[in-house]
Amino acid sequence: MRNDLAAVQAYLASVIPGSAPIPADPALAEAAACFVTGNARLTPAAQVDIYRRQFWLRHRELLRDDFPGLAHLLGEERMDAFCRAYLDAHPPAHAPFRRMIEDVPAFAARFDGLEGVAPRALVVDMARYEIALLDVRTGPDAPPLDPQKLTSLPEDAWERARIVLHPAALRLSFTYPVHRLRKAWIVAGEPVVLPDAPAPVKLALYRNRDLVTHFEELEAEAFLLLELLAEGVPLVPALGRLAEPLPEDRQAHVATNVGRWFQQWTTLGIVVDVDLPASS
Amino acid sequence: MTTPDRMRLGLPDLGIGVGLRVPHCQEIFETRPKVDWFEIISENFLVPGGVPLANLDRALAHYPVVQHGVSLSIGSTTPLDFTFLRDLRALLRRTKSPWLSDHLCWTGTATLNTHDLLPLPYTEEAIRHVATRARIVQDTLEVPLVLENVSSYLTYTSSELTEWDFLTAVVEEANCGVLLDVNNIYVSSQNHGFDPLAYVDAVPAHRVVQIHLAGHTNYGDYIIDTHSGPVIDPVWDLYRRTIGRVGAVSTLIEWDEDIPPLATLLAEAERARVVREEALSHAK
Repeated sequence: MRNDLAAVQAYLASVIPGSAPIPADPALAEAAACFVTGNARLTPAAQVDIYRRQFWLRHRELLRDDFPGLAHLLGEERMDAFCRAYLDAHPPAHAPFRRMIEDVPAFAARFDGLEGVAPRALVVDMARYEIALLDVRTGPDAPPLDPQKLTSLPEDAWERARIVLHPAALRLSFTYPVHRLRKAWIVAGEPVVLPDAPAPVKLALYRNRDLVTHFEELEAEAFLLLELLAEGVPLVPALGRLAEPLPEDRQAHVATNVGRWFQQWTTLGIVVDVDLPASS
Repeated sequence: MTTPDRMRLGLPDLGIGVGLRVPHCQEIFETRPKVDWFEIISENFLVPGGVPLANLDRALAHYPVVQHGVSLSIGSTTPLDFTFLRDLRALLRRTKSPWLSDHLCWTGTATLNTHDLLPLPYTEEAIRHVATRARIVQDTLEVPLVLENVSSYLTYTSSELTEWDFLTAVVEEANCGVLLDVNNIYVSSQNHGFDPLAYVDAVPAHRVVQIHLAGHTNYGDYIIDTHSGPVIDPVWDLYRRTIGRVGAVSTLIEWDEDIPPLATLLAEAERARVVREEALSHAK
Protein backbone atom coordinates (compact mmCIF):
# COMPACT_ATOMS: atom_id res chain seq x y z
CA MET A 1 0.00 0.00 0.00
CA ARG A 2 1.26 3.51 -0.84
CA ASN A 3 2.10 5.63 2.14
CA ASP A 4 3.26 8.85 0.51
CA LEU A 5 1.85 12.20 1.61
CA ALA A 6 -1.23 12.07 -0.61
CA ALA A 7 -2.05 8.50 0.43
CA VAL A 8 -1.71 9.33 4.13
CA GLN A 9 -4.01 12.33 3.77
CA ALA A 10 -6.56 10.43 1.69
CA TYR A 11 -6.70 7.66 4.27
CA LEU A 12 -7.17 9.96 7.25
CA ALA A 13 -9.73 12.12 5.44
CA SER A 14 -11.71 8.98 4.67
CA VAL A 15 -11.94 7.83 8.30
CA ILE A 16 -11.93 10.99 10.42
CA PRO A 17 -15.55 12.01 9.64
CA GLY A 18 -16.89 8.56 10.53
CA SER A 19 -19.10 7.98 13.54
CA ALA A 20 -18.10 4.40 14.45
CA PRO A 21 -14.93 3.92 16.54
CA ILE A 22 -12.03 2.96 14.28
CA PRO A 23 -10.61 0.26 16.63
CA ALA A 24 -13.97 -1.53 16.42
CA ASP A 25 -13.74 -1.90 12.64
CA PRO A 26 -11.13 -4.57 11.68
CA ALA A 27 -10.67 -3.25 8.13
CA LEU A 28 -10.17 0.34 9.27
CA ALA A 29 -7.89 -0.78 12.08
CA GLU A 30 -5.77 -2.77 9.65
CA ALA A 31 -5.50 0.20 7.31
CA ALA A 32 -4.57 2.45 10.24
CA ALA A 33 -1.58 0.20 10.97
CA CYS A 34 -0.26 0.79 7.45
CA PHE A 35 -0.04 4.53 8.02
CA VAL A 36 0.22 5.05 11.76
CA THR A 37 2.65 3.54 14.24
CA GLY A 38 0.72 3.50 17.49
CA ASN A 39 2.72 3.40 20.72
CA ALA A 40 2.94 1.43 23.96
CA ARG A 41 -0.39 2.84 25.18
CA LEU A 42 -2.40 3.26 21.99
CA THR A 43 -2.82 1.11 18.89
CA PRO A 44 -2.61 2.81 15.49
CA ALA A 45 -6.41 2.69 15.28
CA ALA A 46 -6.74 4.25 18.74
CA GLN A 47 -4.41 7.08 17.71
CA VAL A 48 -6.45 7.80 14.58
CA ASP A 49 -9.61 7.56 16.65
CA ILE A 50 -8.51 10.58 18.71
CA TYR A 51 -8.81 12.70 15.57
CA ARG A 52 -12.19 11.13 14.71
CA ARG A 53 -13.57 12.03 18.15
CA GLN A 54 -12.12 15.55 17.97
CA PHE A 55 -13.75 16.02 14.56
CA TRP A 56 -17.13 15.19 16.01
CA LEU A 57 -16.75 17.23 19.21
CA ARG A 58 -15.43 20.27 17.35
CA HIS A 59 -18.20 20.35 14.76
CA ARG A 60 -20.94 19.55 17.22
CA GLU A 61 -19.82 22.49 19.35
CA LEU A 62 -19.69 24.70 16.31
CA LEU A 63 -23.20 23.80 15.22
CA ARG A 64 -24.51 24.27 18.76
CA ASP A 65 -22.81 27.66 18.98
CA ASP A 66 -24.27 28.88 15.70
CA PHE A 67 -27.74 27.36 16.25
CA PRO A 68 -28.63 27.71 19.94
CA GLY A 69 -32.29 28.26 19.07
CA LEU A 70 -32.34 25.08 17.03
CA ALA A 71 -30.66 23.23 19.90
CA HIS A 72 -33.35 24.51 22.31
CA LEU A 73 -36.04 23.47 19.88
CA LEU A 74 -34.72 19.95 19.30
CA GLY A 75 -33.37 19.18 22.76
CA GLU A 76 -29.94 17.73 23.60
CA GLU A 77 -30.32 14.24 22.19
CA ARG A 78 -32.16 15.17 19.01
CA MET A 79 -29.74 18.04 18.35
CA ASP A 80 -26.85 15.57 18.54
CA ALA A 81 -28.66 13.30 16.08
CA PHE A 82 -29.28 16.28 13.82
CA CYS A 83 -25.59 17.28 13.96
CA ARG A 84 -24.46 13.71 13.20
CA ALA A 85 -26.81 13.39 10.27
CA TYR A 86 -25.90 16.83 8.97
CA LEU A 87 -22.16 16.17 9.11
CA ASP A 88 -22.70 12.84 7.35
CA ALA A 89 -24.75 14.51 4.61
CA HIS A 90 -22.63 17.66 4.38
CA PRO A 91 -19.10 16.97 5.58
CA PRO A 92 -17.28 20.31 5.79
CA ALA A 93 -15.36 20.84 2.58
CA HIS A 94 -14.20 24.40 3.14
CA ALA A 95 -12.36 26.26 5.87
CA PRO A 96 -14.90 29.04 6.59
CA PHE A 97 -17.48 27.86 9.11
CA ARG A 98 -20.10 29.99 7.37
CA ARG A 99 -19.84 27.69 4.36
CA MET A 100 -20.13 24.64 6.56
CA ILE A 101 -23.50 25.71 7.93
CA GLU A 102 -25.08 27.04 4.76
CA ASP A 103 -27.01 23.82 4.07
CA VAL A 104 -28.51 23.54 7.56
CA PRO A 105 -31.95 25.00 6.65
CA ALA A 106 -32.28 22.80 3.56
CA PHE A 107 -31.16 19.79 5.56
CA ALA A 108 -33.68 20.60 8.28
CA ALA A 109 -36.37 20.54 5.60
CA ARG A 110 -35.69 16.86 4.95
CA PHE A 111 -34.23 15.57 8.25
CA ASP A 112 -36.27 12.53 9.22
CA GLY A 113 -35.79 12.87 12.99
CA LEU A 114 -38.33 15.60 13.66
CA GLU A 115 -41.44 13.52 14.15
CA GLY A 116 -43.06 14.32 17.47
CA VAL A 117 -40.42 16.97 18.22
CA ALA A 118 -41.43 20.15 16.43
CA PRO A 119 -43.20 21.26 13.25
CA ARG A 120 -40.77 21.07 10.35
CA ALA A 121 -41.52 24.64 9.23
CA LEU A 122 -40.59 25.89 12.68
CA VAL A 123 -37.26 24.04 12.62
CA VAL A 124 -36.44 25.33 9.13
CA ASP A 125 -37.44 28.88 10.09
CA MET A 126 -35.23 28.75 13.18
CA ALA A 127 -32.24 27.55 11.15
CA ARG A 128 -32.80 30.29 8.57
CA TYR A 129 -33.16 32.94 11.25
CA GLU A 130 -29.98 31.91 13.07
CA ILE A 131 -27.96 32.03 9.86
CA ALA A 132 -29.47 35.45 9.13
CA LEU A 133 -28.35 36.66 12.56
CA LEU A 134 -24.78 35.60 11.82
CA ASP A 135 -24.89 37.31 8.45
CA VAL A 136 -26.28 40.57 9.81
CA ARG A 137 -23.65 40.67 12.58
CA THR A 138 -20.76 40.33 10.14
CA GLY A 139 -22.26 41.91 7.04
CA PRO A 140 -20.72 44.92 5.31
CA ASP A 141 -20.49 48.27 7.07
CA ALA A 142 -22.04 51.48 5.79
CA PRO A 143 -21.74 55.06 7.05
CA PRO A 144 -24.97 56.39 8.60
CA LEU A 145 -27.35 58.52 6.60
CA ASP A 146 -26.35 62.16 6.39
CA PRO A 147 -29.53 64.05 7.39
CA GLN A 148 -28.37 67.07 5.39
CA LYS A 149 -28.53 64.96 2.26
CA LEU A 150 -32.26 64.38 2.81
CA THR A 151 -33.10 67.98 3.47
CA SER A 152 -31.11 69.19 0.49
CA LEU A 153 -32.92 66.95 -2.01
CA PRO A 154 -35.07 68.85 -4.54
CA GLU A 155 -38.79 68.12 -4.38
CA ASP A 156 -38.88 66.08 -7.57
CA ALA A 157 -35.94 63.94 -6.46
CA TRP A 158 -38.08 61.17 -5.00
CA GLU A 159 -39.21 60.24 -8.50
CA ARG A 160 -35.73 59.03 -9.33
CA ALA A 161 -33.78 58.93 -6.08
CA ARG A 162 -32.68 55.44 -5.12
CA ILE A 163 -33.01 54.69 -1.41
CA VAL A 164 -29.90 52.82 -0.26
CA LEU A 165 -30.54 50.26 2.45
CA HIS A 166 -27.86 49.08 4.88
CA PRO A 167 -26.02 46.27 3.08
CA ALA A 168 -26.11 44.05 6.16
CA ALA A 169 -29.86 44.47 6.76
CA LEU A 170 -32.06 41.54 5.73
CA ARG A 171 -35.74 41.15 5.00
CA LEU A 172 -37.14 37.84 6.16
CA SER A 173 -40.46 36.00 6.05
CA PHE A 174 -41.22 33.18 8.46
CA THR A 175 -44.12 30.83 9.10
CA TYR A 176 -43.47 30.96 12.83
CA PRO A 177 -42.32 33.92 14.96
CA VAL A 178 -38.88 32.41 15.50
CA HIS A 179 -37.37 35.78 16.38
CA ARG A 180 -39.59 36.04 19.44
CA LEU A 181 -39.24 32.37 20.39
CA ARG A 182 -35.46 32.52 20.17
CA LYS A 183 -35.31 35.72 22.19
CA ALA A 184 -37.52 34.18 24.88
CA TRP A 185 -35.48 30.98 25.09
CA ILE A 186 -31.93 32.27 24.64
CA VAL A 187 -32.00 35.83 25.96
CA ALA A 188 -34.75 35.67 28.59
CA GLY A 189 -34.07 32.05 29.55
CA GLU A 190 -37.71 31.08 29.35
CA PRO A 191 -38.66 27.40 29.03
CA VAL A 192 -39.21 26.04 25.55
CA VAL A 193 -42.91 26.13 24.75
CA LEU A 194 -43.78 25.36 21.15
CA PRO A 195 -46.42 27.52 19.47
CA ASP A 196 -49.79 25.87 18.87
CA ALA A 197 -50.10 27.09 15.30
CA PRO A 198 -48.16 28.94 12.63
CA ALA A 199 -48.16 32.73 12.91
CA PRO A 200 -46.55 34.13 9.75
CA VAL A 201 -44.34 37.15 10.24
CA LYS A 202 -42.25 39.50 8.15
CA LEU A 203 -39.13 41.10 9.57
CA ALA A 204 -36.34 43.49 8.94
CA LEU A 205 -33.23 42.19 10.67
CA TYR A 206 -30.59 44.86 11.04
CA ARG A 207 -27.85 46.11 13.27
CA ASN A 208 -27.94 49.57 14.76
CA ARG A 209 -25.16 52.12 14.89
CA ASP A 210 -23.75 50.42 17.99
CA LEU A 211 -23.53 47.18 15.95
CA VAL A 212 -26.24 45.53 18.04
CA THR A 213 -28.61 43.29 16.06
CA HIS A 214 -32.36 43.96 16.24
CA PHE A 215 -35.49 42.81 14.51
CA GLU A 216 -38.41 44.94 13.45
CA GLU A 217 -41.72 43.32 12.57
CA LEU A 218 -43.15 44.77 9.38
CA GLU A 219 -46.61 45.06 7.93
CA ALA A 220 -46.96 43.26 4.60
CA GLU A 221 -46.98 46.51 2.62
CA ALA A 222 -43.97 47.89 4.44
CA PHE A 223 -42.10 44.66 3.78
CA LEU A 224 -42.96 44.82 0.08
CA LEU A 225 -41.87 48.44 -0.11
CA LEU A 226 -38.53 47.58 1.46
CA GLU A 227 -38.13 44.76 -1.05
CA LEU A 228 -38.73 47.17 -3.94
CA LEU A 229 -36.32 49.72 -2.49
CA ALA A 230 -33.71 46.97 -2.07
CA GLU A 231 -34.12 46.17 -5.76
CA GLY A 232 -33.18 49.78 -6.52
CA VAL A 233 -36.65 51.06 -7.46
CA PRO A 234 -36.90 54.78 -6.55
CA LEU A 235 -39.39 55.66 -3.82
CA VAL A 236 -42.23 57.12 -5.88
CA PRO A 237 -42.28 54.38 -8.55
CA ALA A 238 -41.94 51.81 -5.77
CA LEU A 239 -45.01 53.21 -4.06
CA GLY A 240 -46.85 53.06 -7.38
CA ARG A 241 -45.96 49.43 -7.90
CA LEU A 242 -46.84 48.63 -4.33
CA ALA A 243 -50.24 50.31 -4.46
CA GLU A 244 -51.36 49.11 -7.87
CA PRO A 245 -52.68 45.65 -6.87
CA LEU A 246 -53.96 46.78 -3.47
CA PRO A 247 -57.63 47.47 -2.62
CA GLU A 248 -58.45 51.09 -1.93
CA ASP A 249 -58.43 50.83 1.83
CA ARG A 250 -54.90 49.34 1.79
CA GLN A 251 -53.75 51.99 -0.66
CA ALA A 252 -54.99 54.59 1.77
CA HIS A 253 -53.19 52.76 4.56
CA VAL A 254 -49.93 52.90 2.65
CA ALA A 255 -50.40 56.58 1.87
CA THR A 256 -51.04 57.32 5.52
CA ASN A 257 -48.10 55.32 6.83
CA VAL A 258 -45.30 55.59 4.30
CA GLY A 259 -43.85 58.72 5.88
CA ARG A 260 -43.76 57.01 9.27
CA TRP A 261 -42.16 53.87 7.85
CA PHE A 262 -39.50 55.83 6.07
CA GLN A 263 -38.73 57.88 9.14
CA GLN A 264 -38.53 54.72 11.24
CA TRP A 265 -36.16 52.98 8.80
CA THR A 266 -34.00 56.07 8.72
CA THR A 267 -33.88 56.27 12.51
CA LEU A 268 -33.08 52.58 12.87
CA GLY A 269 -30.23 52.80 10.38
CA ILE A 270 -31.88 50.56 7.78
CA VAL A 271 -31.80 53.44 5.28
CA VAL A 272 -28.22 54.69 4.93
CA ASP A 273 -28.20 56.84 1.84
CA VAL A 274 -30.22 58.45 -0.92
CA ASP A 275 -28.60 58.19 -4.29
CA LEU A 276 -29.79 60.76 -6.77
CA PRO A 277 -28.61 59.93 -10.28
CA ALA A 278 -27.55 62.87 -12.40
CA SER A 279 -30.34 64.11 -14.72
CA SER A 280 -29.86 63.15 -18.35
CA MET B 1 27.41 31.58 16.36
CA THR B 2 24.21 33.52 15.75
CA THR B 3 24.68 37.26 16.06
CA PRO B 4 21.99 39.29 17.87
CA ASP B 5 20.79 41.18 14.79
CA ARG B 6 20.11 37.92 12.98
CA MET B 7 17.85 36.72 15.78
CA ARG B 8 14.12 36.49 15.07
CA LEU B 9 15.01 36.97 11.39
CA GLY B 10 15.36 40.66 12.24
CA LEU B 11 11.70 40.86 13.30
CA PRO B 12 10.76 42.80 16.45
CA ASP B 13 10.38 41.46 19.96
CA LEU B 14 6.86 42.61 20.83
CA GLY B 15 7.04 41.47 24.45
CA ILE B 16 4.21 39.53 26.11
CA GLY B 17 0.81 39.26 24.46
CA VAL B 18 -2.49 37.46 24.76
CA GLY B 19 -5.08 36.30 22.25
CA LEU B 20 -7.81 38.84 21.49
CA ARG B 21 -11.03 37.01 22.31
CA VAL B 22 -14.62 38.28 22.14
CA PRO B 23 -15.52 37.83 25.86
CA HIS B 24 -12.68 40.19 26.82
CA CYS B 25 -13.06 42.88 24.18
CA GLN B 26 -15.26 45.33 26.03
CA GLU B 27 -13.11 45.22 29.17
CA ILE B 28 -9.95 45.59 27.13
CA PHE B 29 -11.28 48.65 25.33
CA GLU B 30 -12.53 50.22 28.55
CA THR B 31 -9.49 49.53 30.74
CA ARG B 32 -6.62 49.32 28.22
CA PRO B 33 -4.70 46.74 30.24
CA LYS B 34 -0.94 46.45 30.25
CA VAL B 35 -0.47 43.98 27.43
CA ASP B 36 2.28 44.48 24.90
CA TRP B 37 0.37 43.06 21.92
CA PHE B 38 -2.57 40.97 20.83
CA GLU B 39 -2.77 38.01 18.52
CA ILE B 40 -5.88 37.47 16.42
CA ILE B 41 -7.10 34.38 14.65
CA SER B 42 -7.13 35.74 11.10
CA GLU B 43 -10.09 33.63 9.99
CA ASN B 44 -12.36 35.26 12.59
CA PHE B 45 -11.82 38.60 10.89
CA LEU B 46 -12.24 37.56 7.26
CA VAL B 47 -15.76 38.97 7.22
CA PRO B 48 -17.23 41.96 5.38
CA GLY B 49 -17.81 44.08 8.51
CA GLY B 50 -19.69 44.36 11.77
CA VAL B 51 -18.50 43.61 15.28
CA PRO B 52 -15.35 41.60 14.47
CA LEU B 53 -13.75 44.30 12.37
CA ALA B 54 -14.93 47.06 14.72
CA ASN B 55 -13.26 45.21 17.60
CA LEU B 56 -10.12 44.76 15.55
CA ASP B 57 -9.94 48.45 14.70
CA ARG B 58 -10.36 49.37 18.37
CA ALA B 59 -7.55 47.02 19.32
CA LEU B 60 -5.34 48.35 16.53
CA ALA B 61 -5.83 51.89 17.82
CA HIS B 62 -3.90 51.03 20.98
CA TYR B 63 -1.92 47.81 20.50
CA PRO B 64 0.18 45.96 17.94
CA VAL B 65 -1.79 43.05 16.50
CA VAL B 66 -0.28 39.92 14.97
CA GLN B 67 -2.20 37.59 12.68
CA HIS B 68 -2.26 33.90 13.46
CA GLY B 69 -4.13 31.45 11.25
CA VAL B 70 -5.55 27.96 11.33
CA SER B 71 -6.63 27.38 7.72
CA LEU B 72 -3.53 27.73 5.57
CA SER B 73 -3.07 23.96 5.43
CA ILE B 74 0.46 24.40 4.21
CA GLY B 75 1.03 20.65 4.10
CA SER B 76 -2.10 19.68 2.22
CA THR B 77 -1.72 17.97 -1.15
CA THR B 78 -4.62 20.02 -2.54
CA PRO B 79 -3.76 23.28 -4.33
CA LEU B 80 -3.17 26.44 -2.32
CA ASP B 81 -6.28 28.56 -1.93
CA PHE B 82 -5.34 31.86 -3.53
CA THR B 83 -8.70 33.44 -2.72
CA PHE B 84 -7.97 32.82 0.94
CA LEU B 85 -4.46 34.26 0.51
CA ARG B 86 -5.91 37.35 -1.13
CA ASP B 87 -8.25 37.82 1.84
CA LEU B 88 -5.36 37.35 4.26
CA ARG B 89 -3.37 39.92 2.36
CA ALA B 90 -6.22 42.42 2.62
CA LEU B 91 -6.42 41.83 6.36
CA LEU B 92 -2.65 42.25 6.66
CA ARG B 93 -3.00 45.70 5.14
CA ARG B 94 -5.44 46.53 7.92
CA THR B 95 -3.50 45.02 10.83
CA LYS B 96 0.05 45.80 9.65
CA SER B 97 0.99 42.54 11.32
CA PRO B 98 4.79 42.25 11.13
CA TRP B 99 4.51 38.56 10.28
CA LEU B 100 1.79 36.00 9.68
CA SER B 101 1.81 32.66 11.44
CA ASP B 102 0.02 29.41 10.77
CA HIS B 103 0.66 25.77 11.51
CA LEU B 104 3.06 23.23 10.07
CA CYS B 105 0.27 20.79 9.35
CA TRP B 106 -2.51 19.88 6.96
CA THR B 107 -6.19 20.40 7.65
CA GLY B 108 -7.98 18.47 4.94
CA THR B 109 -8.36 17.38 1.35
CA ALA B 110 -10.36 18.63 -1.61
CA THR B 111 -13.56 17.13 -0.19
CA LEU B 112 -13.09 17.39 3.57
CA ASN B 113 -11.91 20.12 5.88
CA THR B 114 -11.36 18.61 9.32
CA HIS B 115 -10.85 22.03 10.94
CA ASP B 116 -8.06 20.25 12.81
CA LEU B 117 -4.30 20.64 12.69
CA LEU B 118 -3.08 17.24 11.54
CA PRO B 119 0.61 16.41 11.70
CA LEU B 120 2.62 15.70 8.58
CA PRO B 121 4.79 12.64 7.99
CA TYR B 122 8.37 13.68 8.66
CA THR B 123 9.72 12.80 5.21
CA GLU B 124 11.85 14.39 2.52
CA GLU B 125 8.78 14.46 0.29
CA ALA B 126 6.85 16.49 2.86
CA ILE B 127 9.77 18.87 3.42
CA ARG B 128 9.98 19.66 -0.30
CA HIS B 129 6.21 19.93 -0.61
CA VAL B 130 5.75 22.27 2.35
CA ALA B 131 8.80 24.40 1.62
CA THR B 132 7.68 24.99 -1.97
CA ARG B 133 4.23 26.06 -0.83
CA ALA B 134 5.58 28.18 2.03
CA ARG B 135 7.76 30.13 -0.40
CA ILE B 136 4.72 30.81 -2.60
CA VAL B 137 2.65 31.92 0.39
CA GLN B 138 5.41 34.18 1.63
CA ASP B 139 5.81 35.67 -1.81
CA THR B 140 2.06 36.22 -2.15
CA LEU B 141 1.53 37.76 1.27
CA GLU B 142 4.72 39.80 1.25
CA VAL B 143 5.21 39.41 4.98
CA PRO B 144 7.37 36.77 6.68
CA LEU B 145 5.56 33.47 7.13
CA VAL B 146 6.08 31.88 10.51
CA LEU B 147 5.23 28.20 10.97
CA GLU B 148 4.10 26.72 14.27
CA ASN B 149 4.77 23.18 15.49
CA VAL B 150 1.48 21.43 16.29
CA SER B 151 0.47 19.05 19.04
CA SER B 152 0.06 15.57 17.61
CA TYR B 153 -1.72 12.44 18.71
CA LEU B 154 -0.32 10.01 16.16
CA THR B 155 2.94 9.23 14.41
CA TYR B 156 3.32 7.91 10.88
CA THR B 157 4.98 4.72 9.71
CA SER B 158 6.51 6.72 6.84
CA SER B 159 8.32 9.27 9.03
CA GLU B 160 12.08 9.25 8.52
CA LEU B 161 13.08 12.15 10.78
CA THR B 162 12.42 13.53 14.23
CA GLU B 163 9.81 16.29 14.39
CA TRP B 164 12.47 18.89 15.21
CA ASP B 165 14.67 17.86 12.29
CA PHE B 166 11.62 18.04 10.04
CA LEU B 167 10.66 21.50 11.32
CA THR B 168 14.22 22.73 10.91
CA ALA B 169 14.51 21.38 7.37
CA VAL B 170 11.20 22.97 6.32
CA VAL B 171 11.94 26.44 7.68
CA GLU B 172 15.51 26.41 6.36
CA GLU B 173 14.40 25.34 2.89
CA ALA B 174 11.46 27.74 2.85
CA ASN B 175 13.42 30.53 4.54
CA CYS B 176 10.62 31.25 6.98
CA GLY B 177 10.28 31.73 10.72
CA VAL B 178 9.26 29.46 13.58
CA LEU B 179 6.44 30.00 16.02
CA LEU B 180 7.59 27.66 18.75
CA ASP B 181 4.62 26.42 20.73
CA VAL B 182 6.29 25.21 23.89
CA ASN B 183 3.11 23.59 25.17
CA ASN B 184 2.78 21.67 21.90
CA ILE B 185 6.32 20.38 22.32
CA TYR B 186 5.40 19.17 25.80
CA VAL B 187 2.12 17.59 24.65
CA SER B 188 3.72 15.75 21.75
CA SER B 189 6.68 14.65 23.87
CA GLN B 190 4.28 13.04 26.33
CA ASN B 191 2.17 11.51 23.57
CA HIS B 192 5.13 10.10 21.65
CA GLY B 193 7.78 9.61 24.30
CA PHE B 194 10.56 11.93 23.17
CA ASP B 195 12.69 14.32 25.20
CA PRO B 196 11.20 17.84 24.94
CA LEU B 197 14.57 19.37 25.82
CA ALA B 198 16.10 17.74 22.75
CA TYR B 199 13.42 19.47 20.67
CA VAL B 200 13.99 22.90 22.23
CA ASP B 201 17.76 22.54 21.90
CA ALA B 202 17.58 21.57 18.22
CA VAL B 203 15.30 24.28 16.86
CA PRO B 204 17.18 26.88 14.75
CA ALA B 205 17.28 29.65 17.37
CA HIS B 206 17.61 32.57 14.97
CA ARG B 207 14.40 31.59 13.18
CA VAL B 208 12.21 31.61 16.31
CA VAL B 209 10.05 34.69 15.87
CA GLN B 210 7.32 33.95 18.39
CA ILE B 211 6.47 31.59 21.23
CA HIS B 212 3.09 30.20 22.31
CA LEU B 213 2.25 29.07 25.82
CA ALA B 214 -1.01 27.36 26.77
CA GLY B 215 -2.70 24.81 28.94
CA HIS B 216 -3.82 21.36 27.85
CA THR B 217 -5.96 18.44 28.97
CA ASN B 218 -4.44 15.16 30.12
CA TYR B 219 -6.63 12.14 29.39
CA GLY B 220 -4.22 9.61 30.85
CA ASP B 221 -3.22 7.70 27.74
CA TYR B 222 -2.77 10.89 25.78
CA ILE B 223 -2.83 14.67 26.11
CA ILE B 224 -4.90 17.04 23.97
CA ASP B 225 -3.88 20.62 23.26
CA THR B 226 -7.11 22.24 24.41
CA HIS B 227 -5.80 25.71 25.29
CA SER B 228 -7.63 25.38 28.57
CA GLY B 229 -6.41 26.15 32.05
CA PRO B 230 -3.12 27.66 33.12
CA VAL B 231 0.32 26.77 31.79
CA ILE B 232 1.75 23.89 33.82
CA ASP B 233 5.15 23.98 35.51
CA PRO B 234 6.97 21.62 33.11
CA VAL B 235 5.91 23.90 30.26
CA TRP B 236 7.21 26.96 32.14
CA ASP B 237 10.50 25.09 32.55
CA LEU B 238 10.63 24.44 28.81
CA TYR B 239 9.87 28.11 28.21
CA ARG B 240 12.81 29.13 30.41
CA ARG B 241 15.05 26.80 28.45
CA THR B 242 13.73 28.17 25.15
CA ILE B 243 14.25 31.81 26.11
CA GLY B 244 17.76 30.91 27.25
CA ARG B 245 18.46 29.70 23.71
CA VAL B 246 16.52 32.11 21.52
CA GLY B 247 16.65 35.31 23.60
CA ALA B 248 13.89 37.91 23.87
CA VAL B 249 11.14 36.61 21.61
CA SER B 250 7.50 37.74 21.43
CA THR B 251 5.52 35.44 23.69
CA LEU B 252 1.79 34.82 23.74
CA ILE B 253 -0.58 33.12 26.17
CA GLU B 254 -3.35 31.16 24.40
CA TRP B 255 -6.52 30.37 26.33
CA ASP B 256 -9.49 29.33 24.18
CA GLU B 257 -11.53 26.83 26.16
CA ASP B 258 -13.24 27.75 29.43
CA ILE B 259 -12.01 31.28 28.79
CA PRO B 260 -11.30 32.86 32.19
CA PRO B 261 -11.88 36.46 33.32
CA LEU B 262 -9.46 38.87 31.68
CA ALA B 263 -7.65 39.37 35.00
CA THR B 264 -6.75 35.68 35.13
CA LEU B 265 -5.44 35.73 31.59
CA LEU B 266 -3.43 38.88 32.29
CA ALA B 267 -1.97 37.31 35.43
CA GLU B 268 -0.77 34.40 33.29
CA ALA B 269 0.78 36.89 30.87
CA GLU B 270 2.51 38.62 33.77
CA ARG B 271 3.91 35.30 34.88
CA ALA B 272 5.30 34.85 31.37
CA ARG B 273 6.89 38.28 31.62
CA VAL B 274 8.57 37.41 34.90
CA VAL B 275 9.77 34.02 33.67
CA ARG B 276 11.09 35.57 30.49
CA GLU B 277 12.99 38.29 32.39
CA GLU B 278 14.49 35.70 34.73
CA ALA B 279 15.51 33.49 31.83
CA LEU B 280 17.07 36.42 29.97
CA SER B 281 18.99 37.54 33.09
CA HIS B 282 20.18 34.00 33.67
CA ALA B 283 21.30 33.68 30.05
CA LYS B 284 23.41 36.85 30.37
